[in-house]
Amino acid sequence: MSASGHADANSRATRRLGLDWVFGAPALLFVAFLAIPLWALAWRGISSGELADNVTSSLVLDSLRLSAITSTVTLAVAVMVGTPLAYLLARRSFPGKFAVDLLLDLPIVLPPTVAGVALLVALGRRGAVGARFDAAGYDIAFTTTAVVLAQLFVSAPFYIRTAKAGFESVEPVYEGVASTLGASPLRTFFRVTLPLAWPSLVAGAILCWARALSELGATLIFAGNLQGRTQTMPLAIISAFESGQSIDVPIALSLILVAAASILLLLLRVVANNAPARM
Amino acid sequence: MFSIDIRKRIGDFDLAPQFEAASELVVLFGPSGCGKSLTLQAVAGLLTPDSGRIAIPGGAVAFDSTTRANLPPQARNVGYVVQELALFPHMTVRQNIEFGIASWPKDRRSVRVRQLVALLNLEGLEDRRPRQMSGGQQQRVALARALAAEPSLLLLDEPFSALEAPLRATLRREVAALRRRLNLTALFVTHDIGEAYALADRLVVYDAGRVLQHGPPRDVFRKPSSHRVAELLETRNVIPGMIVAYAEGVVVVQTPWFTARVRDPEAPVRGDVYVCIRPEHIIILRDGRDAHGGDDVVLDATIVEDVSMGNTHRLYMRADGIGGETSTSHIFEVDMPAHPYEVLGIETRAEWRIALTAEHLSLVPRP
Repeated sequence: MSASGHADANSRATRRLGLDWVFGAPALLFVAFLAIPLWALAWRGISSGELADNVTSSLVLDSLRLSAITSTVTLAVAVMVGTPLAYLLARRSFPGKFAVDLLLDLPIVLPPTVAGVALLVALGRRGAVGARFDAAGYDIAFTTTAVVLAQLFVSAPFYIRTAKAGFESVEPVYEGVASTLGASPLRTFFRVTLPLAWPSLVAGAILCWARALSELGATLIFAGNLQGRTQTMPLAIISAFESGQSIDVPIALSLILVAAASILLLLLRVVANNAPARM
Repeated sequence: MFSIDIRKRIGDFDLAPQFEAASELVVLFGPSGCGKSLTLQAVAGLLTPDSGRIAIPGGAVAFDSTTRANLPPQARNVGYVVQELALFPHMTVRQNIEFGIASWPKDRRSVRVRQLVALLNLEGLEDRRPRQMSGGQQQRVALARALAAEPSLLLLDEPFSALEAPLRATLRREVAALRRRLNLTALFVTHDIGEAYALADRLVVYDAGRVLQHGPPRDVFRKPSSHRVAELLETRNVIPGMIVAYAEGVVVVQTPWFTARVRDPEAPVRGDVYVCIRPEHIIILRDGRDAHGGDDVVLDATIVEDVSMGNTHRLYMRADGIGGETSTSHIFEVDMPAHPYEVLGIETRAEWRIALTAEHLSLVPRP
């Protein structure tokens, strides 16, 4: 009995070892594939010896400032408009809910260039809506506002999706009990529902921000590539490449984006681990 | 006075409860899915009936379809403890209790919290979060939170179902004592028959969205109004019979196993009936002893199975038909406490005489 048990454990161990090798090799290969380019980027940036100069060049500083401002404004608008929408989608049924739900998924799967074209056709100077703004003396396309709108279009759905899932995870019984305790629907939302959904809202905000920061296609078409006005960091990388000077400037920009993305991902992990235990 | 008489259709389910209650502990008892919890939701204002009327103690009409009255949950002054408790996990005990009295002045609020903390033995736990407390403590916090705003009606939806039996018994006694002290009307939902009997001042038996019978638990247990109520209350011995005579308040019932004389002013006086008697009301007679009352039904029966439940034995005893007719034998279920079981030496032999005590026999119509 014990002997056969021992043999069993042994053969299980060998079998496991076999699996480890068979699965481990391709896994390791892929990890290397992801890590090597990033390592190369970092090595090249540092070994050029001009990283500090490149990081403080006007192209880099202008795009950095613009990216920081536009992605933050985008996030703020996404949270303000997206939170109520996410709540309604999670809690209410209304005519057209299915269509709205579908519409929210579309920017996630659509190539961002398509979003750019659509925005241009709608809000450009001769666009369906843009023509009226133009008549009133407002231009949207090819301004910093257009950058924000392009980012909002492609990134807000990430926030709304995650926030909706967060609200859905809050058992309605909490809200029911709060209302029997005399809390108005608004007080219930801010004191009960929102705190319970908080980890999801923060996670959604981080995803949204990361997506806005990396936005390229829609911005390029709808807002153009004007340094200091619409040239965010991803666009600046393209410009720096096309100018044909040195590869060191795009490398500096890339390293900044890699750093920003890493920080956001770490934040996401911290938030996920600190989610208050549900009862 | 609390009263409810509503109708609500939810898919195929028809909820139509109707009963009244004074300042007492009302237990809503029934199988799961019978509409007990939905009734509480309707009373709390979280479920809107299609029609009918709900009146809350203190005179407020919470819902009345004829006058289109429908108070929101915030205005019903009802304390509601749900099965999952739903304590706010991001708040401390104090914040949970204060949630319902946020509009009170600060002094009054802290006095009230101190009162409730003392009342429910939560001293020293005020700054804990729900997940840092035991199940019993969480229960008490949920009760304190529901009682904070001095509700005129307390709703308890299987609040102890997640707890272990000894703790459940303790909390049950505490809730009953607390309710008496506050002189509140409380509706308590359970599907545990022992809990129902132990707690109820008034027992409301539910089935399929309707109230089948309500009254003091003693009366309901002793005189179920229908075969279904007898079944739900685990009467166990439900014997088909027929009324053969009725004179001067005494009904004579004939069954294949015995003839019984039943004195029950509410019993049917003719037709087919079921004779109901609970297992604890059948006694095993010592040799040479007769029944206590002249109307007790005495039978010869054989133990076919003996199931020990620790403090009692459930005996399954076969009785043959009148005149030794074995083709129609019937199994009676008899409960016997462990002590008399040993004194009588029940396990030493199988054949005994049993007595169905007359005052515990009840009749329900048999369709």
